[in-house]
Amino acid sequence: MGLFLDTSRVILSRVKDLRALTSKRHRVKGKWAATHPKQPPTRMALQHFDATYSAQLGALWPSIRVALLSERKYGALLNHFSHNLDVEELQAQGCKDFISNGEGKLHTASKRKLHDNLLLRSAPSPLRLSPNIRCLVFPRGDITRFRPARPDKFGLLSYYLLDAASILPCLALDVQESHTVLDLCAAPGGKALVLLQTQSVRFLCANDLSVSRTSRLKRVLQSYVPKALLTDDKLRITSFDGTIWGEIERNAFDRVLVDVPCTTDRHSLMEDDNNIFSRSRVGERRSLPQLQAELLLAGILATCPGGDVLYSTCTLSANQNQAVVQQAVQLAEEQHGIQLQVISLCPLAQMFSNTFHFAPNLHLGEMVIPHLAANFGPIYLCKLRRLT
Amino acid sequence: MGTRVVVLQVLRQKLNYVPNSTSIPVQFKTCKASNLPSSLSCRLLCSVSNLTPSLLQHNKRNSAELSLRSLLDMGFTEYQAEQLYDSVSRMKGGNAAKHVLSTLSVLFVLGLNPTTVHKLLDKCPELYTVKDVQLQQRITQLRHLGLVEGSLQRTVSHYPKILTVPMKSVKSVVQFLREKCLFTTQQVAEILRDSPAVVLEDLDQLEYKFQYVYFRMGVKQAEMVKCRLFRFSLDNVRCRHTFLERRGLYQTPDKKGQTTIINPKLDGILNVDEGTFTADVAQASPEEYDVFQKLLAREWKEEEFEHGSIESYSEDDEKEEEEEEDNEEEEETRGKSGYNKKKKK
Repeated sequence: MGLFLDTSRVILSRVKDLRALTSKRHRVKGKWAATHPKQPPTRMALQHFDATYSAQLGALWPSIRVALLSERKYGALLNHFSHNLDVEELQAQGCKDFISNGEGKLHTASKRKLHDNLLLRSAPSPLRLSPNIRCLVFPRGDITRFRPARPDKFGLLSYYLLDAASILPCLALDVQESHTVLDLCAAPGGKALVLLQTQSVRFLCANDLSVSRTSRLKRVLQSYVPKALLTDDKLRITSFDGTIWGEIERNAFDRVLVDVPCTTDRHSLMEDDNNIFSRSRVGERRSLPQLQAELLLAGILATCPGGDVLYSTCTLSANQNQAVVQQAVQLAEEQHGIQLQVISLCPLAQMFSNTFHFAPNLHLGEMVIPHLAANFGPIYLCKLRRLT
Repeated sequence: MGTRVVVLQVLRQKLNYVPNSTSIPVQFKTCKASNLPSSLSCRLLCSVSNLTPSLLQHNKRNSAELSLRSLLDMGFTEYQAEQLYDSVSRMKGGNAAKHVLSTLSVLFVLGLNPTTVHKLLDKCPELYTVKDVQLQQRITQLRHLGLVEGSLQRTVSHYPKILTVPMKSVKSVVQFLREKCLFTTQQVAEILRDSPAVVLEDLDQLEYKFQYVYFRMGVKQAEMVKCRLFRFSLDNVRCRHTFLERRGLYQTPDKKGQTTIINPKLDGILNVDEGTFTADVAQASPEEYDVFQKLLAREWKEEEFEHGSIESYSEDDEKEEEEEEDNEEEEETRGKSGYNKKKKK
């Protein structure tokens, strides 16, 4: 019996073409796959997001998914240091400044409150925003693209195209007159540029780990801001590892912006280049929450008592958002005895609810979620105040 | 017996507009079909299909003129006859008037009643210009393709344009459907019956649509025929499917035909109006679908432009990020070239 089986196996292994003629009982699978099939990083990212976000976001996920896979919407940050007719052209096409719209909405709301309120005491807006920032966006549902900005006679560009939701962290940071500001992960420089537009910054320190990205940051600032405002006493660009900032400078800044590296959901789904879901970067991706908590802690240490820290990411994952903030707050208390207060950004969300879609019922911070008619985001923000 | 009655009826109508000078022996009532003297009237008693050529000869010989009277005699009401007469008179070229009567007779022979014929010609005035011989040949071709009595009349009355299409194009479309798309003959007949506009479609577009639904959506031929896929435009199908796919509600089956989720049926996707589709199948708001359509239209336009410029480059242009090669297994189930899946899902 055994001999028969051996011979039949030998015969069968040589006569592979007669697969169809051999009975199922005697068929032999010769080649077994040694590796998983090669999949591009974008597909890996999509599978990963489908698994995590369908549980986390529930019924919101299909709408967010289709928005992430479709073309994103940009906003044009206006450059106060340049004068150009581009701006008038844009406004003629129908763009509106969403920030002044939001402020207008707030005024009418508070006026109504005043009217209803029997007492003359008016309810001031509990949240202050950084001043002088203007950003034009096309109306809801309008998919027109912005043309690239053209330089004026001084060589400065009139507007900077970025995701309009990226401006929210800078607004929420509330940079007031003569504040010193630290931007811990500044490259490629959009948020740093927004901060400079407030014209209230006494001293800005922009840092990024990567040297190549820091040089890009320099180029961006040079294209938009006149040289007079980029002198050493006003601006310092560094390439240190942000996690060790706690050892370099403590209690030095009024405002700190920590815009951490994350899985950049939108980029990961659309571009294969430089994608954090590629196989070579698995370790890096797994250790992201740890890195993010360290960066936030360093930012907290760098803030003066009474100053504000703003944590922001461009991912939807609660693992990289709320969990990181909670861990950093806990570490700050345990290791350094620092007390922090979470400042609610609910008024901000209400102000801009016409322009952006915010995730409902977030227990910590606010999150802009992508939607086809308002394809901005995803952006997560959380504001902390250092009490001690 | 029934055919004889029809023949007699038609004959009576035809004879009515023959000028009074000609006299026809009234022998036809007693003649048998088999052994007939070669007289005009008896020839008219032969099988229905022979009627048309003999009528032609009859008409040519008598050079009958189109007139309201002749139309009324064919069975049209006064209003219909007037309309027909007007539209024929307005047609360019004097040939229309001569052939109209024979064209009309072919349609009657097909079994359509006068009201239907009038509606048909209203819908499709090009029919006036079709020669009756051609018309008859095309009808015969459709019969050979499987459009039997009943469905043939229905198809023609709903979509008269099918008779203005030359036989060659119909043949090429049918050949394409059978050989490249691997539809059975019965399925091809059903397609012609349900979506006759397919004969006028560009073959490339048709191929792309079939390949899209077969590979990207994983739908087989039987289901395609059942839900009348060819009634819908490619853009419509692509837009609805892409919306579902990007929302995560539709998955392309892998090489074993399996998916992680249950895909909605093709019928449920296409054969519903936009409101129901958006609300029930896609579970989205109408605003989202509107914006999505605009975005997708722009994406396609840019892809077309990109493909056009890639073709003009030489082979050393490697940046064809759009396409991924298909699995070998899928080639086994398909006749010829496989469809390339797009990278972005």
